[in-house]
Amino acid sequence: MTLLEAQALTYAYPGGVPALSGLDLRVERGRRLAILGPNGAGKTTLLLHLNGTLRPSSGRVLLDGAAAGYSREKLSHWRRRVGLVLQDSDDQLFAASVAEDVSFGPLNLGLSDEEARARVEETLAALAIADLADRPTHMLSFGQKKRAALAGAAAMRPEILLLDEPTAGLDQRGATLLLDVLKQLQNGGTTLVFTTHDADLAWAFADDVALFGQGRVIVQGAAGDILVDAARMNEAGLTVPFLAQIGLKLRRCGALGAQAPLPRDEASALALFPGAAVVGPASSKPQGGPDFEALTSEPGS
Amino acid sequence: MSPVDRAAHLNRWRHRSLTEKAALALGMMLLAIALPPGPGAPMVAAIMTAAALAGARVAPKVWLACALAPLGFLAVGAISLAVQLDSHGLSLAPGGLAAAARLVLRSFAALTCLLFLALTTPAADLIAGLRRLGLPAEIAELALLIYRFLFLLGDTAMAMDAAQAARLGHAGAKRRLRALGLLIANLLPRALDRARRLETGLAARGWDGELRVLSHRAPVSLPAMGLIGLTLFATAAAGIRFS
Repeated sequence: MTLLEAQALTYAYPGGVPALSGLDLRVERGRRLAILGPNGAGKTTLLLHLNGTLRPSSGRVLLDGAAAGYSREKLSHWRRRVGLVLQDSDDQLFAASVAEDVSFGPLNLGLSDEEARARVEETLAALAIADLADRPTHMLSFGQKKRAALAGAAAMRPEILLLDEPTAGLDQRGATLLLDVLKQLQNGGTTLVFTTHDADLAWAFADDVALFGQGRVIVQGAAGDILVDAARMNEAGLTVPFLAQIGLKLRRCGALGAQAPLPRDEASALALFPGAAVVGPASSKPQGGPDFEALTSEPGS
Repeated sequence: MSPVDRAAHLNRWRHRSLTEKAALALGMMLLAIALPPGPGAPMVAAIMTAAALAGARVAPKVWLACALAPLGFLAVGAISLAVQLDSHGLSLAPGGLAAAARLVLRSFAALTCLLFLALTTPAADLIAGLRRLGLPAEIAELALLIYRFLFLLGDTAMAMDAAQAARLGHAGAKRRLRALGLLIANLLPRALDRARRLETGLAARGWDGELRVLSHRAPVSLPAMGLIGLTLFATAAAGIRFS
């Protein structure tokens, strides 16, 4: 079911630099959608259209099939349903402490102090930052700030959460932690839309991908279909995710069945190699297994 | 982050009620000004220094570092009272030493009161307190935002300064001045940009012009208030009796 839809959005920055030119996008309920494109392609601009911050010069945004309005009242309704997490957490955290900052959204929803307090505690616990509640926002680490900013949006319980480059700048552990939290939110019923320039992240985390280039969505569909399409990926200035490349290569040399799914994470990719599951000394050459010499050369060459 | 801010957030009395801390600090400051400086001022200074160092466990190093600058001003002021310059040259002013001593004692006592408040209470708490006393919401919000973004602005300025230094922008006084000008010129558009993004973030969370948040308020402890009242009264009584 389509929750949010952009139709033929066109937008130019003041000064006439075109950012979006006839962009279409569909956000389906309960899915994780990656908006994938190179730096400077206008992904952030697109997100700002999806919560009504920017207004397109032509085209429209539909919420549940009805055109979203830009009056004060309609924007407020829109933003209750569609939350936004900015890339730089420092742009978002304004209050003196984490708990105060997270309470901002719930209070704006009209919740009572008690309800808002409960909402804050619940959200901080869900994001595993309950211990930071009283910490001043300028005394947080980068990863903590990211989670605090996410908590600020998640505490409003939006149906859709828009995230601008959620893992940018995070170390591997911080990124894994954040993605785990996002998965939890999704399990709770939140639809996730995130921008990224990282095809590997989209491969690991997205259900659907919208390939973004030249101010429009080149193609939108299941991650497993879009990300392995080398021609289209190159058109958007990207390359096929590394794990997908490995999987495709293994398919070509017969180590992976043509219908078997491509590995989405490192562990399942490594498990496809001989000896991966063998405990103890393995024989020097696998017997009757796939011909791994073929890995070093293209088949037929 | 500044050592003052760190102390304010991490001292032992951080979570005591603002009312208690303000009553003690402002009450003592009033006594320091009103009582004859004879024994009054040293008593106030001793009590407030002990409250900061032993009570709230503020690091003595930080306390001393914060006291040094105002003490420097105080010294200059005292010298100008004690010494006179006339046709006979430099000499001690009649009664000048006594006047200077009174001034130093009073000011130092008041300083310990202010230091106690600044080093035990975060700026945000102080602003929230002023808000409860009737400071208009707009001014309180502005002050809070400035406080919050001061640190970011400082970080940005420091990073830009380091980047300039790395490219030899500070070699020579002339180049240094030019680099400083560039830095300041670059900070403004960045600050405006950040303000715009902040507004986007706030609007996304339903901002309607007022920054409402749930603030945590420590309850006022009656025994503590009693103790503070008693201390103030005893200090006042002793200050008058022994003057």
